[in-house]
Amino acid sequence: MNVQAREAPAPPGFLPWAPELTGEAGPPPEPRAPRGRPGAALYLPLRLAWRQLRAEKARLASAIAGVMFACVLVFMQLGFRSALFDSATALLASFRADVFLMHPMTQVSFKPEMLPRVRASQALALPEVQATVPVYLAQATWRNPESGARRAVQLVGFDVEAGVMDFPGLAPLIETLKRPDTMVFDRRSRPEFGPVPKLLAERGPFEVQVANRQMEVVGLIEIGPSFGADGNVVMSETNFRRLVKERQVSQVDLIAIRLVPGADREAAVARLRQVLPPDVTVLGGPDLVKHERDYWESATPIGFIFMFGSIMGLIVGMVIVYQILFSDIASHLKEYATLKAMGYSNFYLGRAVLSAAFILALLGFLPGFALSTFLYDVVGKSTFLPLAMDAPRALAVFGMIFTMCGLAGLLAMRKLRDANPADMF
Amino acid sequence: MDGHASAVRPAPVEIRGLGYAYGEGELRRPVLRDIDLTIRPGEIVLLTGPSGSGKTTLLTLIGALRAMQEGSCRVLGQELMGASEAQRVQLRRQIGFIFQQHNLLGFLTAQQNVAMAIELDPRTTEAGRLERATAMLAAVGLGDRGASLPSELSGGQRQRVAVARALAGEPGLILADEPTAALDRQSGGEVVRLLRELAKRRGVPILLVTHDPRILDLADRIVSMEDGRIVPTKQAEGVPAA
Ligand SMILES: Nc1ncnc2c1ncn2[C@@H]1O[C@H](COP(=O)(O)OP(=O)(O)OP(=O)(O)O)[C@@H](O)[C@H]1O
Ligand SMILES: [Mg+2]
Repeated sequence: MNVQAREAPAPPGFLPWAPELTGEAGPPPEPRAPRGRPGAALYLPLRLAWRQLRAEKARLASAIAGVMFACVLVFMQLGFRSALFDSATALLASFRADVFLMHPMTQVSFKPEMLPRVRASQALALPEVQATVPVYLAQATWRNPESGARRAVQLVGFDVEAGVMDFPGLAPLIETLKRPDTMVFDRRSRPEFGPVPKLLAERGPFEVQVANRQMEVVGLIEIGPSFGADGNVVMSETNFRRLVKERQVSQVDLIAIRLVPGADREAAVARLRQVLPPDVTVLGGPDLVKHERDYWESATPIGFIFMFGSIMGLIVGMVIVYQILFSDIASHLKEYATLKAMGYSNFYLGRAVLSAAFILALLGFLPGFALSTFLYDVVGKSTFLPLAMDAPRALAVFGMIFTMCGLAGLLAMRKLRDANPADMF
Repeated sequence: MDGHASAVRPAPVEIRGLGYAYGEGELRRPVLRDIDLTIRPGEIVLLTGPSGSGKTTLLTLIGALRAMQEGSCRVLGQELMGASEAQRVQLRRQIGFIFQQHNLLGFLTAQQNVAMAIELDPRTTEAGRLERATAMLAAVGLGDRGASLPSELSGGQRQRVAVARALAGEPGLILADEPTAALDRQSGGEVVRLLRELAKRRGVPILLVTHDPRILDLADRIVSMEDGRIVPTKQAEGVPAA
C-alpha cells in the first residue's frame, strides 16, 4: 500500500509509452468533471439572451411589436379563412343528420342536382336506418319588410315532424310550422333582409313577401349566411311545394338519414352504397360538409389569398426579428468576441441568439394572442363572420411564430462569425 | 527563480521556431519570424517593442485566438500547431485575457461579468459562481460594487473588474495587451500592480505587452521584439534581463 503512495505505479491498461506514463503532456489532461446539469447548457445562454434583450428596452419593445404584428396578421388571416369556409358550409353543417344522399353531380348545395325521392324509401330497407327525410332546396326572392328591397334567400323545405333534421331553435316551432304559408327565419342572416328579429319581437308573427307569395314569419332559428346565400328560411315540405310550384315532388335535392341509435355510421354508409343505385352519392354528415368546403377551396382563390396573407405577415415579422437580432449582434461584436476569447464557443453563442429569438417569439405571441382574441370579437360582430379563437389555431400560430423567429435567429447567427477574438487586442 | 521547481513543473508556454504571416500570395507579409520563447511557472514576463513589431500577433497566437502557421507553440500542455477549433476554444477557458479596453458586457453587473468567466465550468453552481465573483471583486478592491453596471464605474474600476474576471476562472496563464493604455498614470499603475500581486499569490504566469516604461519594474523578465523577432533586451537599471 505504501508502495502505491510513493512511486506512481503504472495504472493497468496503459502501454509503456503512453503519455500518462512518460509524463509528456499529450492531449490536454482534462480534469473536467462529469458534465453539469444538462439544463444548464440551455438555461445559461437563455439567461444571457434575456439579460441582453432586457437591457435595451426600446429595441425590445420594437421587436415585440414586430412579432405581435405578424402574430395578429396571421391570426386574422387564418380566422377569416376559416370563418369564410365555416360560413360557406353553415347551412349543411347545421343539418343534424347521420348520413346524406345526394346526386353524384352535385358540387355545392346552392346549385344542387336533383335525385329521385324514391331513394329515401329504398334506404329505409336497411335495418340500421331509422328514418329518412327528403330535403328541398331552392332560392327565391325575399322582399325586405321595411324597405321593400329584394334579395335572394335560401329556402329549405323538409318534413319538420320527422325529427331527422334539426336546427338550433327549431324544436319549439314545429307545431306552428304545420300551418299553411308559415316559415322560420335565420336570425343570423345578413341585415339586408330587414330587422326581422326586432319586428317579430314587436308585432309577433308577421307577413313577408317571398317569391311573390305572402308568407308568415313565425319564429327564429340559427344557421348563418354562406357564400351561396345571405340568408335562410326553413319551412315544412308542404309549404315549400306551395311556394315553389314548378318543383316536382318526385325530385329532391338531398336526402337526410337518421340511423338507429348505436349504429356504426361508416358501416351504414358502406351498406347504403351497396344497396342503392349509382345515381346517388352516400356521404356521412362530416363528409358532406367537407365536400362543400372542398368546392369552395378549389373553386375560389379564398384559400390561396389568406395563405398568401399569412405568409406575408410571417415574412415581415421574420425580417423585423432578424433586423433586431442582427443589429444586437453587430453592436455587441466586441462583447461577443470577448466571450469567444474567454472560451465560449460559436455554438454556445448561437444558442444565445436562438434563445433571444424564442424569447421574442413568446413575448410577441402572448400580447398578439390577446389582441387577436379581442379583434376576433370586434370584427366578428361587425362582419357577421364566425370568428372564434380556438386552441388548435392558437397552437398552430404559435408554431408559425416560433418557426419564424427561429429562422430569423438562424439567419442573424451568421453575424456571429464576424466576432473575431483575434481582433480584440 | 526557483530553478528546481520549474524543472519539475512543465513550462506553461513553450514556443519553438514560431513564424506567422498575414495575407496570402502576393500580399503575404511575414510579421513573426523564428520566435523562441519559454515562460516558466509563475513567471511574469513583459513584452515590449516598437509599434508593429508583432507583439499583439504573438499574444493572440499564444492565446489560441488565431490559428498557427509555422513552428511549435505549446500552451498549458496543448500543442497549438494544427490544433482544432474545438481544442483552441477549450484551451481559451484556461487562459485569462485582459484587453486594452475592459470589454465588459454592458448589460451585466460587475459581479455577473466576473461570473461569466466561470459559467462554462460545469462543476460550478450559480451560488458558487456568484460567491467566487464577489470574492474576486473584493480582491481587486471592488467588494461593494458587485451590483454596478460597467457604465457606472470609472475606467480604472472597469479594468479592475476585467482583472477579476481574468483571474476568476483560476487560469493557468494570463495574457494582457497594454492593459494600462486606456487608463491614466495612477489607475494604470494600480491595476497592473494589483494584477501582479494576485497572480504572484496564485502562482499564475503573466505575459503582458506594454509600452509603458513606468511598469517595467513589475517584471521578472523583459522580452523585447523588433520587426517580428525577439532581440536581446537593453539592460535597464533594476530590471532583470531575459
Ligand atoms: N489582421 C491583420 N491583418 C494584416 N496585417 C496585420 C493584422 N494585424 C496586424 N497586422 C500587421 O502585422 C504587424 C504586427 O502587428 P501587431 O499588431 O502584432 O504589432 P504590435 O507589436 O502589437 O504593435 P502595437 O505596439 O502598435 O500594438 C503590423 O505591421 C501590422 O500592420
Ligand atoms: Mg499591439
